[in-house]
Amino acid sequence: MESIMKKLKILADSAKYDVSCSSSGVGRHNDGNIGSAHASGICHSWGADGRCISLLKVLFTNKCVYDCEYCVNKRSNDFPRASFEPDELARLTIEFYRRNYIEGLFLSSAVEISPDHTAERILESLQLLRVKYGFAGYIHAKIIPGVSPELLHRIGLFADRLSVNIEMPTSKSLSLLAPQKKPKEIFAPMRQITNSLIERNILTGPGTMFKGQNLNTEKSYIGGGRKHLGKMGEDLTEDMNCSADYEKYIGFFEDTDSAMKDRIVQRNKTGVSSLKFAKRDKSFAPAGQTTQMIIGAGGESDKSILTTSENLYRTFKMKRVYYSAYIPVVESPVLPDSTLLPPLEREHRIYQADWLLRFYGFSVKELFGGKEINLDPDLDPKVAWALRNLELFPLEVNKASFEMLMRIPGIGAVSAKRIIRQRRVSAVRFEDLKKMGVVLKRAKYFLTCLGRYYGERRFEQDVIRNAILQMEDGLQVSMFDNTWNRLQKGERQEKLSSAGLI
Amino acid sequence: MIDYLYDGTFEGILTCIYHNYYTDKASGIFRKDEYQSTLLGGCMDIKTDPVKATIVYEAIEKKISSYDLRRIYKVYLSNDSDKETKILKYVLLGFHKGASVSMLHSFPEVFDIQSIEKKVDVERERMLQFVRFSVMKNNILYGRIEPDNDVLELIASHFCDRYKNDPFIIHDIGRRKALIAYQRRWYISLFDDKDVPEVSADEQNYRRLWKNYFDNIAVRERTNPRCQKNFMPVRYWKNLTEMTVLKNG
Repeated sequence: MESIMKKLKILADSAKYDVSCSSSGVGRHNDGNIGSAHASGICHSWGADGRCISLLKVLFTNKCVYDCEYCVNKRSNDFPRASFEPDELARLTIEFYRRNYIEGLFLSSAVEISPDHTAERILESLQLLRVKYGFAGYIHAKIIPGVSPELLHRIGLFADRLSVNIEMPTSKSLSLLAPQKKPKEIFAPMRQITNSLIERNILTGPGTMFKGQNLNTEKSYIGGGRKHLGKMGEDLTEDMNCSADYEKYIGFFEDTDSAMKDRIVQRNKTGVSSLKFAKRDKSFAPAGQTTQMIIGAGGESDKSILTTSENLYRTFKMKRVYYSAYIPVVESPVLPDSTLLPPLEREHRIYQADWLLRFYGFSVKELFGGKEINLDPDLDPKVAWALRNLELFPLEVNKASFEMLMRIPGIGAVSAKRIIRQRRVSAVRFEDLKKMGVVLKRAKYFLTCLGRYYGERRFEQDVIRNAILQMEDGLQVSMFDNTWNRLQKGERQEKLSSAGLI
Repeated sequence: MIDYLYDGTFEGILTCIYHNYYTDKASGIFRKDEYQSTLLGGCMDIKTDPVKATIVYEAIEKKISSYDLRRIYKVYLSNDSDKETKILKYVLLGFHKGASVSMLHSFPEVFDIQSIEKKVDVERERMLQFVRFSVMKNNILYGRIEPDNDVLELIASHFCDRYKNDPFIIHDIGRRKALIAYQRRWYISLFDDKDVPEVSADEQNYRRLWKNYFDNIAVRERTNPRCQKNFMPVRYWKNLTEMTVLKNG
């Protein structure tokens, strides 16, 4: 018990910088001995950093042959090392799961010996968990770049969600900070996952980005050449800081999997290509794939970060891209000063923009006006967009389309749907909006209700901007108060004990 | 107009709705054991009647919708102090408007029910998150909860499916009752601290492992207790393994 305590401490410590902890994307009844999956995921706890704890997030091992500059597990870092035994890890997962501590397992790993060797150990753990222990809960497995397609496939048969970390928003910073990781090795497994999902008719894409479209066709299949990649690379020429230059790698695949492609074509010919009617095969990573990248380690602009995300969403149809504000864990001459605070505000704005891409029908191009390459740090990107496009507003809530309602700051999918639903029965009055969940303190500047405008000031960009900024001032201060700052060990103890945690 | 008194059961509320149609109109419905007379309109004791209750039950299902029936049942499970009267008003409006009643967000009757239902749903969700089982002797799982609303039966199906091969008990301490389940069959029974089975030998070890994991997984540069408390309100902490002090370290 003491040895496993020590291992868990080391391997959880090494895994905590992985961002994703979600257990969503697949609903499943207990078809094994223990466990089930909830379509929207369940968080079981929240750590002292306010991040949710849904899965047991650990590395299989933190012994690494790589030497990535930003990584706490880099080979040259003097740091305690440990590895799990597959059965040890499987039992720990089951015991935690029985107590309702977790929704399942998030298994990542450093690269011990080689990517394939590590993947085999991961596979062994997952197999034990699923087969020997009959575990039907959630499994998220990290795929290490460079792994063989066969091993990836077998891991996918046990996992609900797979992720390959892109690590850096551009290939330039990747080659600078993680020189042993090659873009091609990152995109090859991503492409294999997407193609496997298409083949099983279960690719759905991020958020509501592809709502109503069938993605499980030859068209979304990522084969050779760049013809599938649409208009990517458009922004390359706009400015040099914005070189979202992964595109040339994403399209760099040779068309080797022609047999697989044939099967898709075959399936489509039988005329049951629509997602609604064709059989869906959930045997491989039914919750899709995600990735994550670090914000603020290289010198990228927000625009190039979000352009890369948009490309990942459009090409690989990933469920999500996670962002992680760079936290200095190791000293390095090529990294930002380690005394700097992690760029949490920036991460927050990028997440907001990411939501606009996935759920609100925005494109990256719309989010940046003119020559801007960074998001406005003071304003929600949706408000910033609305202020730049003031000629579209104010919108009449009783007439605007669903898509345009969604573009009003302060109105989201739930309230937009409620407005549409009530409009069929009776006109929506201003007093009703609040009850429907509309955030009026933002929305009132951009809408009219039964012809009347409720923003009390003049309808001008600067006036509205100032009004919103003043109102959000209080909120900003509380969201990013000084508890977010970098803390020394002693200080942290103090904070935690004052919060009643110790 | 007269105050109705009922016995605290769902059938009791339904019987009151029946009487509201055929006898004096109700100014409100109150629990008999908590009622304080206002000496204004007087009150009437409504005796729960299964036949009358069934008539109303079926009428709601047929003339409004089964969705709304479920909805008012969830509101009945809430701890809202005025829930009975709010249910009455909602059902009366429902009989008038039919199945579209839930769409009428602007009616106060609908807004009241909608917000109470949301509270119950939120707490149900929280119980799925925050039940912490201990493994007891004979491999029985035992968890303690103290929810504001009576959500025990709403979480039964989730846990029954998930732990179909483990016998488990979820104990609502405040209401002194428990959900007892094994192999997808469950019932709710009176339950007291004296009924709690004995804890198994290695339970403490797993609690320590979990607490250790919990303390380690937080990134200290991002410490943010405010955010943590937002998602995990302090009133639930006393039954959360990771937030309580363990015996023997």
